[in-house]
Amino acid sequence: MVRLRDLHEAEAKHMRARADAMQPVDPAPWITPKSLRECHVAIVSTAGLHRRSDAPFNPGAVDYRLLPGDVDFADVVVSHISTNFDRSAFQQDPNIWFPLDRLREMAAANEIGGVAKWHYSFMGAQPNHEALKLAGEEVGRLLAAEGVDIALMVPV
Amino acid sequence: MGALANYIERAGVATASISLIREQSEAVNPPRALWVPFALGRPLGSAADPEFQKQVMRAALGMLATATQPTIEDYPIEAPDEADAGQWLCPVNFAVAEDESVTARLLAEVTRLAPWSAETRAKRGRTLFGVTGAAPHQIDAVARALGTLAEHGNLSEAPVEGIDWQFDMPILVRHLADDLRTFYHEAIAAQPGSDAPNHDALNDWIFDGTALGDALQQIAKHLTEEGSPMSLLVRGLLIPEGRYEGGSAFG
Repeated sequence: MVRLRDLHEAEAKHMRARADAMQPVDPAPWITPKSLRECHVAIVSTAGLHRRSDAPFNPGAVDYRLLPGDVDFADVVVSHISTNFDRSAFQQDPNIWFPLDRLREMAAANEIGGVAKWHYSFMGAQPNHEALKLAGEEVGRLLAAEGVDIALMVPV
Repeated sequence: MGALANYIERAGVATASISLIREQSEAVNPPRALWVPFALGRPLGSAADPEFQKQVMRAALGMLATATQPTIEDYPIEAPDEADAGQWLCPVNFAVAEDESVTARLLAEVTRLAPWSAETRAKRGRTLFGVTGAAPHQIDAVARALGTLAEHGNLSEAPVEGIDWQFDMPILVRHLADDLRTFYHEAIAAQPGSDAPNHDALNDWIFDGTALGDALQQIAKHLTEEGSPMSLLVRGLLIPEGRYEGGSAFG
């Protein structure tokens, strides 16, 4: 897992159709970052995570939510619309989707330069990824303004 | 995910992506993607396994030093096994009295599961329950709301339960189901001998042995009869593919 052959036939067909409909996105100029040990890292999740006080995601959402680097996992919920994955692993250990503790450990061990103050959450299962262009570029500018060097992109 | 990486890089921030559906990453061509052979819902492979998670992260972040053009690498290590449907059985068996309504059965189930669910919440100090706007002590209201929708099939009006629902109908139905699933999953997590069951095992239990599964099937039937594109979308968001008694949930 996840290989399409392992999914239910109808879901695999759906995922395949979605892949077939996707167009390559024009790449940005190639970035060669500094050494990982000097890099500040942020998480960008597409798991539909947000704080309880935030408006939840609705189907087709192309906006994003902020998750502060000191967020309490007790304050985080999920409004991702797909029901074709279960939430039990995240219930057990939020780091499996949003590895904030892991980044902190890697920073403490000098594997990375630091953990960003702000992290970002989108809802995946977006059939038209061009709809994410404005929000994606905006998050890029916000990350750059904070001095973040690397975004670790984590799907669900 | 891959498209988002390309958009973010336009601001000069490098990205390293975890990829779950390789075919989709191939289509979008993100700068650096690590395809992982893990189940949907487990992008770092294994819960409560910090070293396994960090190894995956190191592999993804390591591509920043090695890739010189858009690259997809395959992570070679499978996740530790979860308990599958053949191995896992819920110790709680809900007896069904034929003359009981689905709402009455749902309420009976949540009553039996409530102490276990509370135990998990206390042990973890957190819960995913409540995306609908309900608090854990309002579980009866959530069960009653879903049961009423299953029995009466009016999917245009939100059930009145004194809760400030965070979604409009009919999308609320999908999140009522999720809050109940969360409650059930958190309950079994506290029970003795419960290894972490996988997605299929959880669905086998919900759909073959609980009033919650029966209620979801009834609601899916109402949505199918209603027939609008929104209703059919909600059906696909309500029932995992392969579980709808009437065919493909998304079909």
